[in-house]
Amino acid sequence: MEIQCDSSSEFVIPISYGSSEITQTGKWGFQKPETVFMTAPCQEACPAGINIPQFVYFANEGLHGEALLTILKESPFPGICGRVCFHPCELNCNRAQYDESVSIHALERYVSDATSNQMVELLPLAVGNSNEVAIVGAGPAGLSCAYFLSLLGHRVTVFEARKEPGGVMRWGIPGYRLPKSILKREIQRILSLPIEMRSGIKIGKDMSFDELSRFDAIFLSPGAGMNVPLSIRGERLGQVWNGGEFLKRINSREKIKLGKETVVIGGGNTAMDVARSALRLGSRVTVAYRRTRNEMPAIPDEIDEAEGEGIQFKFLIQPVKISLLGNKKLAVKFQCMRLGDPDQSGRPRAVPIRGKFITVKTDHIITAAGERVDVSWIPGEFSKDRLIKKNPSPKIFAGGDAVDQPRTIVTAIGAGKRAAISIDSFLRGDDGKSILSGIRLGNKGSLSMEAYLQGRENGDWPEAKRVVPYEGINTLFFEPSKRARVRKRNRDRVLKGFSEVNLGYDAKEAKFSASRCFSCGTCNYCYNCYYFCPEGAISLDSAQGRRTVDFDHCKGCGTCAKACPRSVVEMRELP
Amino acid sequence: MKEFMTGNHAVAYAVRLCHTPLIAAYPITPQTAIYEKLSEWEASGELKGIMMRTESEHSAMASCIAASLTGVRTFTATSSQGIALMHEMLHFAAGCRTPVVMVNVNRLLAAPWGFWADQLDSLSQRDTGWIQFYCENGQESLDTVIQAYKIAEQVYLPTMLSLEAFFVSHFMEVVDLPEQKQVDQFLPPMDLPHKFDIDKPGFLVPVVPSELYQKYKHMAQVSMDSVKEIAVHVDHEFKEGFGRSYGIIEPIMLEDAEVVLVTAGSITSTARVAVKDLRENGKKVGLLKLRLFRPFPVEAVQTALRGKKKIAVIDRNISLGSGGIFCQELRAALVHVPEHPLTYSYLAGIGGTDVTPEIIEKIVMDAMKRDEPFDKPIWVTEE
Repeated sequence: MEIQCDSSSEFVIPISYGSSEITQTGKWGFQKPETVFMTAPCQEACPAGINIPQFVYFANEGLHGEALLTILKESPFPGICGRVCFHPCELNCNRAQYDESVSIHALERYVSDATSNQMVELLPLAVGNSNEVAIVGAGPAGLSCAYFLSLLGHRVTVFEARKEPGGVMRWGIPGYRLPKSILKREIQRILSLPIEMRSGIKIGKDMSFDELSRFDAIFLSPGAGMNVPLSIRGERLGQVWNGGEFLKRINSREKIKLGKETVVIGGGNTAMDVARSALRLGSRVTVAYRRTRNEMPAIPDEIDEAEGEGIQFKFLIQPVKISLLGNKKLAVKFQCMRLGDPDQSGRPRAVPIRGKFITVKTDHIITAAGERVDVSWIPGEFSKDRLIKKNPSPKIFAGGDAVDQPRTIVTAIGAGKRAAISIDSFLRGDDGKSILSGIRLGNKGSLSMEAYLQGRENGDWPEAKRVVPYEGINTLFFEPSKRARVRKRNRDRVLKGFSEVNLGYDAKEAKFSASRCFSCGTCNYCYNCYYFCPEGAISLDSAQGRRTVDFDHCKGCGTCAKACPRSVVEMRELP
Repeated sequence: MKEFMTGNHAVAYAVRLCHTPLIAAYPITPQTAIYEKLSEWEASGELKGIMMRTESEHSAMASCIAASLTGVRTFTATSSQGIALMHEMLHFAAGCRTPVVMVNVNRLLAAPWGFWADQLDSLSQRDTGWIQFYCENGQESLDTVIQAYKIAEQVYLPTMLSLEAFFVSHFMEVVDLPEQKQVDQFLPPMDLPHKFDIDKPGFLVPVVPSELYQKYKHMAQVSMDSVKEIAVHVDHEFKEGFGRSYGIIEPIMLEDAEVVLVTAGSITSTARVAVKDLRENGKKVGLLKLRLFRPFPVEAVQTALRGKKKIAVIDRNISLGSGGIFCQELRAALVHVPEHPLTYSYLAGIGGTDVTPEIIEKIVMDAMKRDEPFDKPIWVTEE
């Protein structure tokens, strides 16, 4: 090394203006840091497998377009999920163990809203001998499957029995939760892909099931569109309505006249949608549920909002008889219940209390005691217990509410994605099973389309990444903070119509909320490693997404791995 | 303005008056009051610098060195185990020629554990290349901090001044606080010829060949040697500005002295009283206070002690296997003086034991009785 002494300081101390790079301190090490992206628990919990830390990172940087594209890699419905998802991500957020979980749900909506004016051009992979795939049912599962298959370069035809696509998103969820404009935009985005959408065609009626066999693969996602009947006396009376039908009429903007009082039977999300819609039509609404609030299958947020809007709840009652009174009112006789031993799902059973009944008088009854699948059009060997079998035949795939899985939109999106990947591997002759295992995000069933595309491109299938536990986060780097509350429209105005209740975040709230993310397992260029590296051997370039280590000078001290607050750097022993 | 305060607070006032932009320290008894006072002023905005709360004394010194190399004045305070932990960085500070100023409150070194006054902590750092002063009281500590910056910044060597635990650090005395204007006039802004330059990045402390290492050590020794003159000069200037001076040594009633006591630090104050009493009783006793220890003021000591017959050095420290460290240094300084005096080494006050006027009188009487050289240290304790 050359030592040049500055003339002014030579008399006190030598200063080298040459570089010390000649000393290759990297040769001293026996381990090296490696950037290892891991799966965040939120991502593992998201049935759609959205790369949450990545999109939140972009949102925090103000790169909303990039954030949107990050979500669109894994789900075609950010605007819808940002409004109606039950957000299991937040329940599993590592930050929940520190102070309060990150507002992922509201951030997804914010990203979607902030980019509503941006045109997104989706580019399908060019595939020479693309296959033809039929999808039956244009709900969240069917549309997601169509979206991903089309992106993978297949020719897709979607058959939808109703006159417009959307399924439960169009016919089930009322506008005050999900404005139609959002639905329209997201479906339009999907249909900007070369997808043939054939609405108003009911398989088994307008076209036979056998005719589908000309396709190379078929995805069945008909949903669960049939109301479960109460099977009690008086159910067919004129003032007793079916919840699914009621919501369909609401969502078709039909004029509906309801009496002063309405009783809604059921405790799920449909019951909440029905109850809150009935309230907006001017009726006083009581929800009757046979278990208690704790056992209600509806999303807790929905229950809270329903209660906040003034809906009454009556628990531990089950209707046994409906009769018409002289004044045109209905009398519902309820059996009083108590909670018993847990059933198969782990929820306590509702057990009748012998001889104890109450009677409630009302103008209308709307039943929302569950939905079931219409399997009448499907050949018998493909269905079991009123559900479609998960793997009916090698070229037939199924998903969504019509198979045995939780009936939520995000689960359906995940099912559509899983089907698209399975169909693609099937058509390519790949070993779907091992591929699905490699691209899984943790152990809760969600898959990474990004990992699939990478493996598909270079034929090298990844190994599933580990999930970052709370202990993997160095919380010393984070100031405790509270979530920003989502603003709501004025209650009195909201109840006069079907305008959206939640207003979402403004830019400041969104930025703050995104900044709260621990970014578990994802580098967000916090520069900690850069600052702490005693050798100055780390270079970061967020614009290019590059993290490089100068291994000629990295001594393998492991400071960067310790300084990383989010478990992205791992030390690997050298051979 | 006169105020009643402890030695620790006198030091803190001095640091504030010197506009020190970077103070990096770690608390340790009995120095903590300095750290606390400066922190208080940082919080109230009265301190125009940054208190860097480091995780160890080693890091505190490393921070001072790095900051000093950007061309700013720095300060740290420590004691005992703290300065021991700092040891490696003390060499770096001197080797990098950084004019860091440090106050060390003399406290015994463990083991066994204790908090009491003993000078071994700073004396065992005598070969680290730092200028060292030993202060007698709070006023001298305050004044020496101001002088230390002026000396250090002329020779580019770090300067440490020591005051004893509790006897000086915690005793309250009347201290004359200089006016800010006076200090500003006395102490020019600091600059370093070899400070970091962001436009011309360089690397300090490169590996050097043996010859160059030797050359830089030689240059540092030349600078160190010049401190003896510079310190005298700075002390004179200080007297002009503030009306007080201390010298690098202070000879007291040496003219006809048959026995000369040699002390450093707070024992000097007690010795002043003892010598006065002994003189009143007809004993010809003198006193020499050592203030500058590194560089050792060989020439000044030789001049002061020329022709003396007996010297009694009191050491509140022991280098095991040898003896009192001030005595070792003094004997070495006198060895070339023709007919040099008999020099006796007395150990008193070790571990913070009290050195009373009676003990000092006892030492003088013992020295008067002796006619033969005696190499070993003599332990003196209260009966």
